[in-house]
Amino acid sequence: MAALKIDMTNTPSLALEIGTLKLKNPLLAASGTCGYGVEIAQVVDLSTLGGIVTKGLYMAARDGCETPRIAETPAGLLNAIGLQGVGIRAFVSNVLPQLRTYDTAVIVNVCGETVEEYAEVSRIASDAPGVHALEVNISCPNVKTGGIAFGTDPAMTHEVVAAVRRVSRLPVIPKLSPNVTDITVFARACEEAGADAISCVNTFLGLAIDVETRKPRLAFGTGGLSGPAIRPLAVRMTFQAARAVKIPIIGIGGIGSASDALEFFIAGARAVQVGTMNFSRPNVYTEIEAGLLDYLKRHQMSDISELTGSIRYP
Amino acid sequence: MSAGRAPAAADRVCRLLSRQPLGGAYALLTFGHPETAQAQAGQFAMIQPEADTNLILRRPFSIMDTDPLRGHFTIFLKAVGPGSKAVFDLREGENARVLGPLGHGFKPPSPGEAAHLVGGGYGVAPFALFSRHLKKAGVLFHLFYGGRSSSELPLVAELERRGIAMTLSTDDGSRGEKGWVTAPLLEALDRTSGAARLYACGPAAMMHAVSRIAEDRDLSCEVSLDPWMGCGIGTCLGCVVKIQEPGELKPKNRPACTEGPVFDSRRVVWPH
Repeated sequence: MAALKIDMTNTPSLALEIGTLKLKNPLLAASGTCGYGVEIAQVVDLSTLGGIVTKGLYMAARDGCETPRIAETPAGLLNAIGLQGVGIRAFVSNVLPQLRTYDTAVIVNVCGETVEEYAEVSRIASDAPGVHALEVNISCPNVKTGGIAFGTDPAMTHEVVAAVRRVSRLPVIPKLSPNVTDITVFARACEEAGADAISCVNTFLGLAIDVETRKPRLAFGTGGLSGPAIRPLAVRMTFQAARAVKIPIIGIGGIGSASDALEFFIAGARAVQVGTMNFSRPNVYTEIEAGLLDYLKRHQMSDISELTGSIRYP
Repeated sequence: MSAGRAPAAADRVCRLLSRQPLGGAYALLTFGHPETAQAQAGQFAMIQPEADTNLILRRPFSIMDTDPLRGHFTIFLKAVGPGSKAVFDLREGENARVLGPLGHGFKPPSPGEAAHLVGGGYGVAPFALFSRHLKKAGVLFHLFYGGRSSSELPLVAELERRGIAMTLSTDDGSRGEKGWVTAPLLEALDRTSGAARLYACGPAAMMHAVSRIAEDRDLSCEVSLDPWMGCGIGTCLGCVVKIQEPGELKPKNRPACTEGPVFDSRRVVWPH
């Protein structure tokens, strides 16, 4: 058999575009795990990331849940932070000027208690120089109104995404909740409402109990589970969503290595987000990028897009 | 002596250089980490073994001592849960992921002020480093070190070796004075005159008690809060504490990792 004629001196391409969103690599820091980007800049070279997704932003500042807010479970992290944040206007005026000096894409995670609030936050974010895309948070399990309520009803999902679509020219990326029976229904609702991509997935609703006190380990009661514990669930949902829609899927769920990320690409993701692992290994991006490049070379691929959806499924 | 500017934090894999068991769940661990070796007293580092465990998050450890020239720092550790146990079980020569130095340390006293340091249990750790800095600066200081019993004062020999003036107390009277650590503190405050500043690190109830003493006597007091912490750099917002700054109408949830862990006790909303 003749040797394949492939120029192995070329570095495979990791870059991609989602509408006007240009990413130099497909590695994003997930919302809620990197602050507003500037916090991690002290220990992470932000230019090694394709982009960062900000902590969720409402119109007003929020103080979040009572403590304890986090509990570690086997290979997982249960959290109920409650979207503590500075509000979109303070972000735009106080944080964004510094954030946009870094060589990385800025994706604003948009929250709201009403459809109107989602639209207003989106409008303000879209008008601000240095914001490259919007991620629509319809899946936070830790707030009493809004959040997951919009992400577990297909009609409401469509309504929110369509409302954001109407007020913004930026790529619109709804972040889906995994706490649904059939994620493909929600992926299709997003696509029909004009979404440019889908983030898949947010945390799984969980409950950890202190058996001595018989109280939940989190002050809020339930929380959202993330980390390696949820990875096979998230890979499965990425696989299902990718087969249901034509728009790109951004895979999220317990990624901490190149091999973890590769599972999502092969299942159908076009990009991935690193979440929980940012807390303990904020510099994991260079290692993941190197691992992806090594894999593509070994498998004689010139572009990571060749990997997307390449699963050999029975 | 000046608090100066806090050194920049670095996230790196580093080696456990020495491990000194202190009996029971206690040990002194020394790591090579040039940045954390510049830490101020009251700052901390986030640490986990490099080898994979089932655990995700690093754990925060107060810096007990530093060797800035050789680039070493030491933590005084009590294994209390799986995260600290994993660090406790590290052997010399093994690697850990260390992010530090983090947070804001203790502000040194103003010229002419004496310093009363109140350490409860393993909360005494930062006062070893602080004592070294105070001694160097010529500040008059005294350490009040308390625990439930003598087995909870494993750092006594090390502190005595350093010639630190201290008063010991235990709840059961098995070492030093019987009773709470606040009793000898009150006696000392009654005995002495002149300006003084209080510093407390230990169980929340102890820090609350020290802060009340400071308030009664109109003394400045700093406390080092120890909430559950996830990341150490202000991104997870898991470690927030209720703090009310002057001029604010109500307290706000503020991350202890970046705005503390050391706070002016008057700003802390107790019990936190």
